Amino acid sequence: MATWTWFHRFGSPPWVYGFAARWTPWFGGAAAIAMLVALYGGLVLAPEDYQQKDAFRMVYVHAPTAWLSMMVYTTMAVAAAVGLIWRMKVAHAAAAACAPVGAWFTVAALGTGMLWGKPMWGAYWVWDPRLTAELVLLFLYFGYMGLRAGIEDPVKADKASAVLAVVGVVNIPIIKYSVEWWNSLHQTPTVMKMGKPTMDTDMLWPLLLMFLAFALYFATVLLIRLRAELLRRERNASWIREVLS
Amino acid sequence: MSEFFSMSGYGVYLWPAFALGFGVVIINLVMALNTLSQAKQEAKRRLEMNAERTS
Repeated sequence: MATWTWFHRFGSPPWVYGFAARWTPWFGGAAAIAMLVALYGGLVLAPEDYQQKDAFRMVYVHAPTAWLSMMVYTTMAVAAAVGLIWRMKVAHAAAAACAPVGAWFTVAALGTGMLWGKPMWGAYWVWDPRLTAELVLLFLYFGYMGLRAGIEDPVKADKASAVLAVVGVVNIPIIKYSVEWWNSLHQTPTVMKMGKPTMDTDMLWPLLLMFLAFALYFATVLLIRLRAELLRRERNASWIREVLS
Repeated sequence: MSEFFSMSGYGVYLWPAFALGFGVVIINLVMALNTLSQAKQEAKRRLEMNAERTS
């Protein structure tokens, strides 16, 4: 029973709009504080790596942006699936709100990766499985946004783009496990291996805090964009008059 | 201080990467806020037009 009330609330645009407006400053504030502390921890407090020296500090910007690029896609695909199955307008709006954020973070992941690849591998780009799959992710985001922009009827645009988002989600495990499935130049995960962290605690906590900061940041941006999507979709609803006055 | 910025010689790669990553963080926040204020203005205009039509 309780789950259904919860589900119904999230299906109601005025309720979601109010919820988003109320929580945005809290998520945003927490994200900013966590990000600054994690930056200080990663750039100043963490000791240098015995192998990569200070170049390992790339991890504090590359890993969170790359993780976010996948996390945003997964969120988008889940929202799109919910929209398709239960014909929920709010879910389609959330999926549409995810796409530009995800595309930007994929660009950041690729760019920071190139800047880490040059000093470590000697090349900005190699056609490595993980790098290639991440590039495919960028094209999936572009395809999703292009499809939405190309279809005038909003209901049809929601449906068609949602199908693309759901089908494209197969790329996420490919990115994640590429370093284990294939012989890759890209290093394997450093945070957890065999259930144990492989990093020194002084190096690990800023990274984990940075992941938390990026998750909170994504929640902030998603809630802001979701409000914009809801305003655009609900053309003549009376609740809009109330929230704008 | 200059030692900090040199990052054992990797600063030339490290600082642009941080600028890109956190630049994207800031850009996305600004773009989201712009999108919201635009959507608000459009919604207001629509409401005013509807009010004129019905009056």
